[in-house]
Amino acid sequence: MIVEILEALFLILTFLMTAYLIRHYVFTLAVLNHSHKREKAAVTTRNAAYQPRVSILIPAHNEERVIGRILQGMTKLTYLKDNMQVIVIDDASTDNTGEIAEGYAKPHNYIEVIHRNQSEGGKGKASALNRGLKQAEGEIIFCFDADYYPQKDIIEKLVAEFADPKVGAVQGRVTVLNEPQNLVTRLVALERIGGYRVDQQARDSLGLITQFGGTVGGFRRGLLESLDGWDESILAEDTDLTFRVHLAGYKIRYVNDAECYEEAVESWGNYWKQRYRWAKGHMQCAFKHSLKVLKSSNLRFKEKLDGLLLLNVYFIPVLVLLSWVVGVLLFLFHPPPWFNIFWALIPISLYSFVGNFAPFFEVGVGAYLDGRTRAYWLIPLLIFTFLYNIPICTKALADLFTSKISGKNCNHWDKTVHTGNGNSYIISQSKVS
Amino acid sequence: MLKEKMVRIRHSILGFSAGVIVAYIIILCFYLVNSEAAFMLMVFDFLFVSLVFPLDGSFVKKIALLLIGNVIGLLWNSVFSSFSYVAACYFGEFLNVLYIILNPLLNFVWVVSFWSISLSVLASSKTVKVN
Repeated sequence: MIVEILEALFLILTFLMTAYLIRHYVFTLAVLNHSHKREKAAVTTRNAAYQPRVSILIPAHNEERVIGRILQGMTKLTYLKDNMQVIVIDDASTDNTGEIAEGYAKPHNYIEVIHRNQSEGGKGKASALNRGLKQAEGEIIFCFDADYYPQKDIIEKLVAEFADPKVGAVQGRVTVLNEPQNLVTRLVALERIGGYRVDQQARDSLGLITQFGGTVGGFRRGLLESLDGWDESILAEDTDLTFRVHLAGYKIRYVNDAECYEEAVESWGNYWKQRYRWAKGHMQCAFKHSLKVLKSSNLRFKEKLDGLLLLNVYFIPVLVLLSWVVGVLLFLFHPPPWFNIFWALIPISLYSFVGNFAPFFEVGVGAYLDGRTRAYWLIPLLIFTFLYNIPICTKALADLFTSKISGKNCNHWDKTVHTGNGNSYIISQSKVS
Repeated sequence: MLKEKMVRIRHSILGFSAGVIVAYIIILCFYLVNSEAAFMLMVFDFLFVSLVFPLDGSFVKKIALLLIGNVIGLLWNSVFSSFSYVAACYFGEFLNVLYIILNPLLNFVWVVSFWSISLSVLASSKTVKVN
């Protein structure tokens, strides 16, 4: 009886992992087939005359090392300044973030700073963004994290998509600024290539659930207000909003050539903190939205399928671990005749969820399409980030269940530490140019 | 643009033909390697042909990489299975069991590494061509 249960469990788990494997394969093929066509079309059809008033929200909690960099980037944007409002939300910072932001606000009348005190602020990014939304006057609301550095014409590229009334939100591409710094930043850079260059591009090309990544993106103000802004009870407020936008019947477009540079986490400790928050938040979204996605009349079958796979992706490292344990038990006790082939699928799956859950072939093709020459050598090492994600996701799931049972609030926002080391890469880039 | 697309399609078709031939050879080699290894080689061939062949680069180079990949896969599996057989004779059956459990993962070590090297080769030749 136990063996039969193990066999059934093993089959279900391998089926689930194979579904993700097929999804990634389809994504990679889609990007290979559509990339040239899409980029050329995007460039030729972009409507440069469409320049509505936009508000750019920059939440910042103790970001003195990086806030100057993004504000400098904002002053260099080519978007019409009369139609632009930049709002820095100094979210109960105890360092000089507020003073630095004020220093930029004085000479630039389109930059505003909101100071939140300790009692009002420090409750996480969603809370800060909602505060910024109250002051925003723009027709389109963008949000950028404080550690980012935008391309000069990024707003024009992103705004152009809103010419289509069905588009509710837009997402640009995130590229790692401090990639050469160390092994962690290099691996994160590869993850980003898989996640944006291939995953996001493919979802956009195939008309699936394009994801808003929490930064380098924007929304229609009316839509955002009708959805009551960002949900402060969810740690992955970006994924939550992604699904609320899609469920409301709007599209999210991904613009690959609208690049923004981020300062990636530089240590395994910070990697843990960031991914733990993402995993927990994503799991919260899975519990909140899975049923709604299934029932939605605004989503087509393929969107529902992709939505469910996206919502549940952070459970997969836990399931891979489980399937490995079940597989070993089956092998030791009573291997069924079909076992060998299914057993071989486990490591494929293992390598299908490396990095930010993009498989090796996806990362490789993404890097190739980006014109990279040396990044491929690190692809085998992405297995370590996946293995690292197993305890991260397992702990996130365990903590989520514990908090559900005990009723304790588990939404502590563990902020990612930004060192400002990315500044030197901007300086070196500007010297080269 | 159209010419580029035609080249991609031609490479994919020829690549799949080469992949089918290689797959038949692997099936014939079932007596040399175990069934998991043969399955892994087929997965490698399928992914390689469908995802690497549509990329820019010389067709001959892609075919050469595909064949080298298969030779490495066969050698890798032969060496590891011989090693596990000998180790099991000397140190007990446990090592053989351990090998079978870890075998698929060991296979992916060469698959992913070779994949990375292949893309490096194709990307560097592309850069040289552009320059």
